[in-house]
Amino acid sequence: MKIIVHNDKCQGHARCWAMAPNIFELDDEGYIKPGDIDVAEADEKLAWKGAKSCPERALEIGK
Amino acid sequence: METFAARPIPAHVPPDMVGDFSLFSSPGMQPTPNGDPQAAAAVVHQGPRIFYSPVNTRDGRGTWVITRAQDQRKVLQDPETFSSHRSIFASALGESWPMIPLELDPPDHGKFRSLLNPLLSPKRVMALESAVRERAIFLIDRIAAAGTSCHVMEDFAFPFAVNIFLRFLGLSDDRLDEFVRWANALLHGDNVQRPAAARTIIGFIDELSAERRRRPVDDFMSFLVQSKIDDRPLTDMEIRGTGVLLFIAGLDTVAAAIGFDLNYLARHMDDQQLLRSDPSRIVLAAEELLRAYPTVQMIRVATRDIDFEGAPIRRGDYVSCATMIANRDPLEFPHPERIDLAREDNRHTAFAYGPHRCLGSHLARREIVVGLEEWLKRIPPFRIKQGTAPVTFGGHVFGIENLVLDWS
Ligand code: HEM
Ligand code: SF4
Repeated sequence: MKIIVHNDKCQGHARCWAMAPNIFELDDEGYIKPGDIDVAEADEKLAWKGAKSCPERALEIGK
Repeated sequence: METFAARPIPAHVPPDMVGDFSLFSSPGMQPTPNGDPQAAAAVVHQGPRIFYSPVNTRDGRGTWVITRAQDQRKVLQDPETFSSHRSIFASALGESWPMIPLELDPPDHGKFRSLLNPLLSPKRVMALESAVRERAIFLIDRIAAAGTSCHVMEDFAFPFAVNIFLRFLGLSDDRLDEFVRWANALLHGDNVQRPAAARTIIGFIDELSAERRRRPVDDFMSFLVQSKIDDRPLTDMEIRGTGVLLFIAGLDTVAAAIGFDLNYLARHMDDQQLLRSDPSRIVLAAEELLRAYPTVQMIRVATRDIDFEGAPIRRGDYVSCATMIANRDPLEFPHPERIDLAREDNRHTAFAYGPHRCLGSHLARREIVVGLEEWLKRIPPFRIKQGTAPVTFGGHVFGIENLVLDWS
């Protein structure tokens, strides 16, 4: 599974990071780091929850 | 509450788009014993997705009201069309400097956010946690030792939130009561009290920044006077605009959230018991309480004519995105009227959507969670004290007063 990160929409709510700090990494200002995220199979459920928790809809669940 | 001569409804607003809901005057918005203003505001979901409210700001102006969360997201994520540049604070004084970053638009907005974000980032807040917890424990132990009832706002919520906040700003809390009075007058006072409080706060911030320029120490104001934007130091007006905003933004928002949360738990013993028996649920529960009891109405100004979901918004019109309205949108939250402390996928807007997302949100969340954790740990099952009634009110920033809890 892949998480497609729309950095232009990220506003630093850090809800994804609160759900799964190891999957969603933040920069020093607290916004998500650029680049899509490849998710290991074992982490899929958590990553899905993290992506769904973004108030800005900045995280899209890809295939 | 004051009354204003109603302004005429602008000619471009179609009469059938005028609604009679107002966050200031509708049922439940005036000070109400045992009220629930957030639930009362949810009546708008029985109506259209956008309508015009003729009197919906503190100074009696009309606004468009956006009811759906998805539409609010669209407005708040588009600062080019829906600007924050209003200088509300200064214009009440006949001046025109912006509060920063609140009343700036991109790209300037982003420069100030980049400067300030690291100071209140999730990681920085983790480092503040032990001080937050220590303060909560100190205050709650004092309450527990003093008896079996307390005034939550005066004895806990305000001194807690304001102390943390003053610590962040680098101020000691011997003037805490005075600061709370200023903030109250500013946010909830009348037409005379508000500008007076504004001038007092400006004077205080100007003096503090001058002092920190002379003798910098390790605190927020010293940081600000030594900072640079675009390779130049901040101007005096920028320092004032930032200092004033930081001073008022954290003063009573966190306290109001804690007040509404404890009010809810005092009336719902089953949920109170649930959190007592399993404190690990508090983090998620706090999100649901932020969804159900948010306090801020955001206002934007249209920078151009735009037809928005059938509404002819014209340049200069005010557009209201009330967090309590979006957070009760049935299209965004299944059964929004139901408070479910285990709710997941809780993408509420208590801290806004878009670039103005609350700078203090990570700190505020920590304070609320730690406050609830320590309260439930140290205070036995509590209810609203018999013969008393908390008073809630709507308006620009919702609040609760006279919240007396009892555990005798
Ligand atoms: C539960 C408590 C709080 C709530 C519900 C809250 C809510 C909000 C909301 C809705 C906004 C957006 C306003 C707009 O866009 O017009 C905002 C902005 C802001 N808040 Fe908070 N806030 C809280 C606590 C705090 C605290 C503790 C601080 C300071 C440490 C703070 C500092 C700010 C600042 C500086 C902004 C302006 C951000 C910008 O314009 O980029 N807030 N807050
Ligand atoms: S939850 Fe969304 S807005 Fe927040 S940091 Fe993650 S991606 Fe960004």
